[in-house]
Amino acid sequence: MAAKPGIAPTTYSPNLVQKTRPPIFKDNDLDWVRPDGRGFHQCRPAFFRTGAVNSASGSAYAELGNTKVIVSVFGPRESKKAMMYSDTGRLNCNVSYTTFGTPVRGQGSDHKEFSSMLHKALEGAIMLETFPKTTVDVFALVLESGGSDIPVVISCASLALADAGIMMYDLVAAVSVACLGKNLVIDPILEEESYQDGSLMLTCMPSRYEVTQLTFTGEWPTPDINEAMQLCLDACNKLGKVMRTCLKEAASASQEEKLDVCF
Amino acid sequence: MEKSDEMVTPGEVLGRATELKAGKGAYVASQNNTIYASLTGFRRIQPPPPDSPDQRPTVEVTGHKAHGPVPEPGSVVIARVTKVMARTASADIMCVGPKSVREKFTGIIRQQDVRATEMDKVDMHSSFHPGDIVRAVVVSFIFSLGDARAYYLSTAKNELGVVSAESSAVLPSLFNFGPKHRRATMVPISWTEMQCPLTGQIQQRKVAKVVS
Repeated sequence: MAAKPGIAPTTYSPNLVQKTRPPIFKDNDLDWVRPDGRGFHQCRPAFFRTGAVNSASGSAYAELGNTKVIVSVFGPRESKKAMMYSDTGRLNCNVSYTTFGTPVRGQGSDHKEFSSMLHKALEGAIMLETFPKTTVDVFALVLESGGSDIPVVISCASLALADAGIMMYDLVAAVSVACLGKNLVIDPILEEESYQDGSLMLTCMPSRYEVTQLTFTGEWPTPDINEAMQLCLDACNKLGKVMRTCLKEAASASQEEKLDVCF
Repeated sequence: MEKSDEMVTPGEVLGRATELKAGKGAYVASQNNTIYASLTGFRRIQPPPPDSPDQRPTVEVTGHKAHGPVPEPGSVVIARVTKVMARTASADIMCVGPKSVREKFTGIIRQQDVRATEMDKVDMHSSFHPGDIVRAVVVSFIFSLGDARAYYLSTAKNELGVVSAESSAVLPSLFNFGPKHRRATMVPISWTEMQCPLTGQIQQRKVAKVVS
């Protein structure tokens, strides 16, 4: 699990040896049912589209259940507030909520740390040295908060960066798991997040099998941590495949448009 | 366009570093010697040049969408002069090479970078006027790329300098509404002078030698 310097210094490679340990929680152990009827280890179906914002260099829209997020990327461009000369590029992230996005109007400003979390998740995946002295601005807007906001923002932001043509080591997929008593539920909705005893968010680059960010809150017994991380890694893998399909469809659709225009 | 090229996304494996070299849009991960894509686009393989010692073909991802151009040391840029001061002139970089930028970058032309000879006798106001279009090169030495905000530009070569300028001559008008400014594109007559075709007035610029 060593961090290899030079290539992507802020990521860590998970141990490749598969620990075969029977899962602690099985699906038929249920003592309650999730409000939307999903299994405990089932994520919401993901919908992604790139190219949502015409005036931005790149953009993406993501919808997972009720969580709707739109991210626009501008750059590389000159930054007005560049204080010091830097020979690598800079990344500037901003996450904001619409006033109508939360159940109680105007309460999205509790999440001021989301901007720096997005920054930490993405900086390990972008090749900053390909655009020295310039800045890439990432603006995320949560249109509706339906639970698991920041993982959806991170995945959507990495699609927007790929759409903008910014060089990256890999796409970034993020999933969160909530610990509710003795149960682990993946991709919690807003109601489940309000009951949770602890949460774990894992952000990884699926093809390179490297983790860029890991955030734990609350109480976690140790065996649960291992199982939760395995769940997250597995879900990130699947989410990564969905994101790639979205990028390829968007790219081939625009390729066909170009061909049509020629004739 | 060959249909057999496959579309790749960032992070997809393109090949092994032992068989292929990484070109544009691809990079080598040293821990497992694999080449991954860093852009979304089509995977293309270029054959190696026949006389190079390394006979591996180059794999590259030809961007379906690439980010806008960024000025790099040594690149030729087209800029419009915005301010002329005693020892420097500011310019907005609009094109890098043949491509135009999405949002302008700021450049500075210093007195010692205007021309190659007699650098301390340069008068900035006889070299540039606000509104001139200049061709310049982004300076590359130790303090490469300039200070924290602006790029340093140099016009110290024959083919660099003002390529297009408008005259600010005032012509008396035929109607009795008073004199009107009529602007015309000036014609270069030497490497330091340009002439307005309407009035015949000669103005001083550091003119670029356009090789046709």
